Amino acid sequence: MDYEALDFYEVDSLLSDEERMVRDMVRDWVDEEVIPNIENACREGIFPDEWRVALGEMGVLGAPLKGYDCPGLSYTAYGVICRELERGDSGLRSFASVQGSLAMYPIWDFGSEEQKMHYLPKMASGEWIGCFGLTEPDYGSNPGDMITKAEEMEDHYILNGAKMWITNGTMADLAVVWAKLDGVIRGFIVEKNDPGFSAPEMKGKHSLKASVTSELVFQDCKIPKDRILPGVKGLRGPFSCLNNARFGISWGAIGAAQACFYSAKDYALSRIQFDHPIASYQLVQNKLSWMLREITKAQLLAYHLGQKKDDGKWIPEHISLAKMNNVDIALEIARVARDIHGANGILDEYPVMRHMANLESVKTYEGTHDIHNLILGRHITGIQSFTREI
Amino acid sequence: MRFTIIAEMNGDLLHPTTYQLIGAISEIGSESIVICPNGKGSSEASKIKGVEKIISVNGDCFDLFDGSAWASAINSVCEGTIVASASPNGREIGSIIAAKRKIPIIQDVTAISSGITVTRPIYSGKATETLKINGDSVITLRPNAFESAEVGNDAPISIVDQTSDVRVAVIEAINKASERLDVTEADIIISGGRGMGSIDNFSHLESMADTLGAAVGASRAVVDEWGMPHRMQVGQTGKTVSPSLYIAVGISGAIQHLAGMRSSKYIVAINKDPDAPIFTVADYGIVASWEEALPILKSELMKLS
Amino acid sequence: MNIAVLLKQVPDTTAKITISNGKVDENSVSKWSMSPYDEYALESGLKMKEATGGNLIAITCGPERTKKMLTDAAAVGADTLIHISEDKVLDSTQVQNLLATVINNNEIEVVLCGKQAADTNAGSTGPGVAEILDAACVTMVSEVSFSENSFISVRPSNTGTEKVSTSGISVFTFDKGLSELRRPNVRGIMMAKKKVIETIKPEELGLGEDSDRIILQTQDSPAEKEPGQIFEGVGEIPTIVSKLRNEANVI
Ligand SMILES: Cc1cc2nc3c(=O)[nH]c(=O)nc-3n(C[C@H](O)[C@H](O)[C@H](O)COP(=O)(O)OP(=O)(O)OC[C@H]3O[C@@H](n4cnc5c(N)ncnc54)[C@H](O)[C@@H]3O)c2cc1C
Ligand SMILES: Cc1cc2nc3c(=O)[nH]c(=O)nc-3n(C[C@H](O)[C@H](O)[C@H](O)COP(=O)(O)OP(=O)(O)OC[C@H]3O[C@@H](n4cnc5c(N)ncnc54)[C@H](O)[C@@H]3O)c2cc1C
Repeated sequence: MDYEALDFYEVDSLLSDEERMVRDMVRDWVDEEVIPNIENACREGIFPDEWRVALGEMGVLGAPLKGYDCPGLSYTAYGVICRELERGDSGLRSFASVQGSLAMYPIWDFGSEEQKMHYLPKMASGEWIGCFGLTEPDYGSNPGDMITKAEEMEDHYILNGAKMWITNGTMADLAVVWAKLDGVIRGFIVEKNDPGFSAPEMKGKHSLKASVTSELVFQDCKIPKDRILPGVKGLRGPFSCLNNARFGISWGAIGAAQACFYSAKDYALSRIQFDHPIASYQLVQNKLSWMLREITKAQLLAYHLGQKKDDGKWIPEHISLAKMNNVDIALEIARVARDIHGANGILDEYPVMRHMANLESVKTYEGTHDIHNLILGRHITGIQSFTREI
Repeated sequence: MRFTIIAEMNGDLLHPTTYQLIGAISEIGSESIVICPNGKGSSEASKIKGVEKIISVNGDCFDLFDGSAWASAINSVCEGTIVASASPNGREIGSIIAAKRKIPIIQDVTAISSGITVTRPIYSGKATETLKINGDSVITLRPNAFESAEVGNDAPISIVDQTSDVRVAVIEAINKASERLDVTEADIIISGGRGMGSIDNFSHLESMADTLGAAVGASRAVVDEWGMPHRMQVGQTGKTVSPSLYIAVGISGAIQHLAGMRSSKYIVAINKDPDAPIFTVADYGIVASWEEALPILKSELMKLS
Repeated sequence: MNIAVLLKQVPDTTAKITISNGKVDENSVSKWSMSPYDEYALESGLKMKEATGGNLIAITCGPERTKKMLTDAAAVGADTLIHISEDKVLDSTQVQNLLATVINNNEIEVVLCGKQAADTNAGSTGPGVAEILDAACVTMVSEVSFSENSFISVRPSNTGTEKVSTSGISVFTFDKGLSELRRPNVRGIMMAKKKVIETIKPEELGLGEDSDRIILQTQDSPAEKEPGQIFEGVGEIPTIVSKLRNEANVI
């Protein structure tokens, strides 16, 4: 049966023609190339290289960036792309988020003209893959205290330290690494063959299995002087990247939720117990109607946030709210969908358990659910509560 | 009202649909002029009830198929409402004649009444429409949708020589061993399940598929356990199909299998267990082992072609 | 070389068709798509354009909504988009005349279209247009190429397939082709957005309307199937086969 995206309030009718065309392009590709292969990719724990090539050919990487052979689409279009990709799998969307918002964006916003011309066209075409190194083994929610550091030498920088949980790390051609130079956080571009740099893969994930997650290790890693991002200092650098990625996630989560809803509805209508389809029982209908309600709200939230982002009238807290809410409901929808599928729900024949497990990561990365609560708490009260010192 | 029928050929013989075209027009109370391209089948056609006269149109242009050359030659002797088979050639010739005469064409008609009013399926059979035609037109009739006319006539045959320009030249014939169709493309699918006993017995399904021009499908049990190719699997985790006819042999009809084929237009099931769930979706069920049923089914089908 | 591709927008083959008051309710069609065989014609046209450095002109006739399909065609590479804007349902002669007039006005050397459109499944347009243009016509082709002043196409024959050649202006109607259909990309979509669609009214082509020669009486849902019949044993197989043939028309 052909996928029918739940869109109860016809929110997609508010999209521009161009945004709808991009949606259809990505949706068709996900139907034809991703859904049939995703379980295999998960079982083998790989991100298929054909997907990198196809994303580059479709021209969706770094979607909202303009110039340097980047797509130049709206932020809303970027959101739609994330949603359609994540309907396939959160790992696929993670790849695109990291490439576009976490690796291309900092070069585009904070890089030198030479850096932009050198890296962006090849990253937009998918030829080069990027990753983003912020999190460290001991510093997750609190990256400001990172210990990875850079030292300035006569004609190069030396990096020392380690990053962890880095999406795309092992397969990346370049890493945007955040490290302290004289105590100030700065961004550096590290290429895969730089001496003293390695990126071993982290194995054993129960979540985002079709996404590569790695450590980045710097042991007296030597990089040329022209690899520092000149345009930013401090946490603002990584946080601007995260704002964009989180924006995409707030749309992406809807895709995962739509996939779970679709599977649950289909299953409930065809599964017969006590002589009738389980969809005819009120308890099951209650679950489905709850899903419909939450997905519809999430869609309106994401659409409006897209408009604000395109108009430049947004604050980071707007994005925190959408990321937190939409991932939260998507995860709960995946769990309820799993329940509706009964035992079948635990099989890889159905997408629900995969989405459920994926969304656990999505809830944690890009600012955990509770960190976004704290961001909003600070916004409401004016009192930060990340640490005990007020 | 006058009707001209373009006879449908099967090599040098009349195709059975020619009898149906004549039967359909007789049914609405009219006799027909029947055109036999290159004279083929003209004496056979003259014996069919409801034929007023036969015109045998002869010429070199019939040596190979060029729809516009055929249409030019045939058009010269047509009059009134022109009726052809909704076969690929019939449709093409009909379209060109309609364009020549500047009259509309209605293709793939499944019912006709005097006046004339015709019915045809639209949207791949998801709806039908009934149209009233004012004035002359070309209509093509769906094969097997009308009763055949009977034999018992001796209509006169006249011969007309016609030439027309052939603009299509065959430069190479490529013979192909008939490849088996893919399940997603086939109009008829014969699927086997675990009840077939072993993979070797699928040869029975294949030979029947060849008779029908059908594709062979399989249940997942057979794909997983006997190593049939996955592209043959019909069902939730295989292909979703909606052919005109789906024949399920030795398949129990698990919900996941039904998910892939229940929208087929007609479903025939052969299963030795009368309680097999496949029978709940079957239009025609045969409670028997395939060993008994397939040979009879096959010989009945052979009789048709 | 100017290559014309005739495109028709139809309800997506997965869309549900609902009838209300004796007519198909077009507003309830959830998705409109390019008719599937037309997609192969378009793909082949794009290949020919690339091989010959030609100009691909996509032409459609229909209401406002069909413009979206022209933009989709531009996203994969159509150069010129022509929309014959007509809200009414036209009969075959009217449609063919409109298309042929536009083709004549654009100095076109080859016309590609689907072997039939997925709404009426008629297949009248290609051959009819060929006749009006006085062009050669080959139907149900799977590929077409241009070399040494002639078009080489492959069509089915009794024994397999055959390669045929035509010269001068030619019309080809496509069956499912051999080549994979190309996907659009963002760059194509952005260019398509900027492309102007030339809109023509039938009156501007000097084609007055004929009096209605085809009058739609009703549209209906297909007749309900009879409930299933289950037979014990093999005795009724001949009956089943004859029903499949004569009532169901499926063999
Ligand atoms: C699959 C995957 C991919 C990732 N990809 C990347 C990547 O590409 N690049 C990158 O830099 N990072 C990446 N990360 C890391 C991710 O951003 C961090 O995991 C995240 O920031 C949380 O850090 P942590 O895991 O150390 O959890 P912690 O910060 O230790 O948090 C643990 C728990 O404590 C809570 N908590 C923490 N502080 C507070 C507080 N002040 N008040 C109340 N509760 C608190 C959190 O909400 C959470 O529930 C990835 C993670 C995963 C799982
Ligand atoms: C998540 C999931 C997805 C699945 N996806 C698919 C799918 O895509 N496609 C699919 O087909 N299955 C699928 N299945 C498997 C499905 O549940 C069934 O197990 C499978 O369809 C059974 O195949 P069968 O009918 O061939 O075998 P059985 O269920 O073993 O049925 C064999 C039948 O043959 C009959 N029989 C035996 N001998 C004869 C004889 N001599 N003559 C006539 N009849 C005979 C028996 O009466 C019986 O009804 C899926 C299962 C799951 C859990």
